[in-house]
Amino acid sequence: MHSESIWGPKLRRGAARLPGILGKLFVAFIFLFPFYWMVITSFKPYAETIQFPPTLWPQNFTLDAYISIIGKMNLLVYVKNSIIVTVSEIVLQLLVMIPAAYAFARYNFVGKGLMFGMVLVALMIPVQVTFITVYLLMAKWKLLGTLLPQIIPFGTNAFGIFLLRQSFLQIPEEVIESAKLDNASELQTMTQIMLPMAKPTVITICMFSFIGRWNAYFWPLIMTDVERIRPLTIAIERLKDLEYGINWSVLMAGNVLLVAPIVVVFFFASRKIMEAFAYRGVK
Amino acid sequence: MAQIEFSNVCKYFGETRVIENLNLTIKDGTFTVLLGPSGCGKTTLLRMIAGIGPATSGRIFLDGRDITFTPPGKRGVAMVFQNYAIYPTMTVRGNIEFGLKNNKVPKAERDRLIREVSEVVGLTAFLDRKPSTLSGGQRQRVALARAMVKNPKVFLMDEPLSNLDAKLRAAMRVELIELHRKLKTTFVYVTHDQVEAMAMADTIILMNDGVIQQEGSPAEIYRDPNNIFTAQFLGTPPMNIFSLGERADVQVGFRPEKAGLSYEEPSAFFRRRGTIATREMLGSETLYKIDFPDGISVMVKSLQESFGVDEQVWVSASREDLCFFDEGGQRIRTGLDGLLAVVGGTR
Amino acid sequence: MKQQQEPRRKSFTKEKILPYIMTAPAMAFLLVFTFYPMANLIYLSFFDYNLINPNKRFVGWRNYYELFFVRKDFLNALQNTAVYTGAVVFFVILLALLLALWIRKDSKFNHFVQTCAFTPHLVAMLSCAMIWAWIMDANRYGLFNTVLSFFNLPPLRWLNSSATAMLSVVIVSVWKSIGYYCLIIVSALKAIPAEIYEAAELDNTPRYRLFFRIILPLLSPQLFFLLVTITINSFKVFDTVRVMTEGGPGNATDVISFYIYRYAFRHFRIGYASAAGTVLMVILMLLTAVYFRGLSRRVHYQ
Repeated sequence: MHSESIWGPKLRRGAARLPGILGKLFVAFIFLFPFYWMVITSFKPYAETIQFPPTLWPQNFTLDAYISIIGKMNLLVYVKNSIIVTVSEIVLQLLVMIPAAYAFARYNFVGKGLMFGMVLVALMIPVQVTFITVYLLMAKWKLLGTLLPQIIPFGTNAFGIFLLRQSFLQIPEEVIESAKLDNASELQTMTQIMLPMAKPTVITICMFSFIGRWNAYFWPLIMTDVERIRPLTIAIERLKDLEYGINWSVLMAGNVLLVAPIVVVFFFASRKIMEAFAYRGVK
Repeated sequence: MAQIEFSNVCKYFGETRVIENLNLTIKDGTFTVLLGPSGCGKTTLLRMIAGIGPATSGRIFLDGRDITFTPPGKRGVAMVFQNYAIYPTMTVRGNIEFGLKNNKVPKAERDRLIREVSEVVGLTAFLDRKPSTLSGGQRQRVALARAMVKNPKVFLMDEPLSNLDAKLRAAMRVELIELHRKLKTTFVYVTHDQVEAMAMADTIILMNDGVIQQEGSPAEIYRDPNNIFTAQFLGTPPMNIFSLGERADVQVGFRPEKAGLSYEEPSAFFRRRGTIATREMLGSETLYKIDFPDGISVMVKSLQESFGVDEQVWVSASREDLCFFDEGGQRIRTGLDGLLAVVGGTR
Repeated sequence: MKQQQEPRRKSFTKEKILPYIMTAPAMAFLLVFTFYPMANLIYLSFFDYNLINPNKRFVGWRNYYELFFVRKDFLNALQNTAVYTGAVVFFVILLALLLALWIRKDSKFNHFVQTCAFTPHLVAMLSCAMIWAWIMDANRYGLFNTVLSFFNLPPLRWLNSSATAMLSVVIVSVWKSIGYYCLIIVSALKAIPAEIYEAAELDNTPRYRLFFRIILPLLSPQLFFLLVTITINSFKVFDTVRVMTEGGPGNATDVISFYIYRYAFRHFRIGYASAAGTVLMVILMLLTAVYFRGLSRRVHYQ
């Protein structure tokens, strides 16, 4: 049921809507323009970026900044690291989270309430509290030179367990019972029946994990002090230390590379993604 | 107290035509029911009177005044929604008072009105409660009180009883009829339940697919339907309608309760022999389905329960109880002699 | 009969253990990387622990004493964080609410505006910070200063001035967050049945009254959620500060997370940093407790 004329037919007349439309376009502009600025800066030569007044479109369109990053700074290493960290994270989390959520949803066992309560409490403990100790642990276990400190500490995705358990709980009992009648083992029930039915939730969780790891800055900052394990975020932030002075074209080019995958995915799946985030707000 | 007129009203939702060129007058002081299946346009019409779902084109008049572009809050109409739409964060008193406050009614008068109305609907004890603590029936009374306290020219009701359980629904039906009798205000009531419509209405406006099928008192519409749709929408079970055989372009019908059953050939105008296919005991009556040899089946509602399945019986109906319809489904009222002759000759 | 009982007993035990096996990895990770560090943080805060010298020295409450009474910079960081949080909470809720009311009706255009507003939320905080650092460049050619010059106003030093640095950081956070919270409010607005708006129309309700007496009360659970969530997230701010201002100029934008980081990894004073971290943890726990208390009260009302 949708309501049509809130506050009278006045608003329906065409011309009166113009200020509203312009206003909203301005709002959209505020959110999009910085990205536009980032992109065109990346295609300007350095000299043009410090020009006054600045140009709204590159006068001397150039790929120098990108060549600089990819060539000189060996960007691919960092991209590779980011990808490895992100993908491994998702895989690890799935392996840990699916059985756990399944157990919390399907079984009753001593200590279940306590353990699930711990999962919920863990949701509220931020990295700012845990990083010191985890760093010391990684140092003690001599893992600091590897990619592992960026992956292992997030093995348990508390939010993921919460969401997935809810999804599993919503699967009707009858489906599970007919699986039992079909002589399915627990593993089969979990992977071939319940998991496919919870696919949207799993995709959502993977998406949150992907965004979280790809964009992570604080954690890798702490956990990486050698070049070869740094992810893209750290590399780009350090660009301003590597150049002589701050070269905005190069910095912006780096950010374009960091931002592009996310924006591209968002462009294709914007509705679904926003739905997932809106639902998360309801919690 | 006011008469409502629709003049050449059209309603489009995007590309979809819901109502086209509809003209209708709802008489002042009547309990008028807009009846029809889902999607027929009855709620659309109601919302047009309220102003919350304006017409795409055409005019609407209330009490002689053109209200087509008047804001809903200034039309002097009140509405009871299907899901009550009471404000969840206000108390019952707050809900009833809200419209009065907006219309700048002074406090002393507001208090008086609230007191009177809550006595009429029986909510005096609940005035300071919040809606979440009330039952469905009580919430409905709040919606009703909110409408009544505005002393409107027209009461609009959008299937207000459909969310109540059967017992409560029957009780509320009686209360609404009495309310109408007391207030003598125009009531426009939307429902898809033909039993409800027949019980409550002074005038029924039956709609289908955005078009008015028939307008009249319950008795008129029931006994003298203008088309097949009307004939079959009202009545449980609906009128039996079938073709004559020789005249493929004409259909004839009669109501199940108007037909007779007998073992011997009766002397009725319409009589035909068939086999009883099913028998349902309804308590006070028995419902039979009779199959005729040419494949046609009819339902007969009889006070006699003695007929059994598979028995051969005669179905009969008198001339006055027959209705004829043309190939467009419209009722044929004149030039019936030829048709009657055909019927009279059938066995 | 004996033969029938034995296999049943075996599978019975297997079924009893199975849930524990399935939850074990998750619990293990949680214990090692979440709960132990939390406890260890408190533990370490009572020590003097320099990363270079691995021997810890127990010093009791001295770190806390130093945090609050000896140095001024922690209190400064607390204050900055509070100011930052207050500003962000205020502006995000106000602007997200206004925007949500504006674009709540279903239309392709409104959805487009919503999508644009949401985009910064998905992008790394790092990138948002760098882009805005560029826009707020204190030179003449920085975009903001260019705009100012169009109005014949002098350029501002933005991130380089202690007066405006905090404002600049707040702007970035607000810009990044509005879209997400607006989305939540829009969902809440859409959850209000259309009939309530229609009934209000029939009640001849003026716009302001519709907002304050009907919409706002119905939104209050979500607004409360927003208030607490934004507050908690604001207390954790790090990326923006590290990238844009490094806590400066001076100490103007030093915030708690950054303070902890500095003392742990630049001054290598793990114990002291842990004390600061514990204070942060306590603050966050209090805020979370407030949230749950408020939540249960509201659930009771609904």
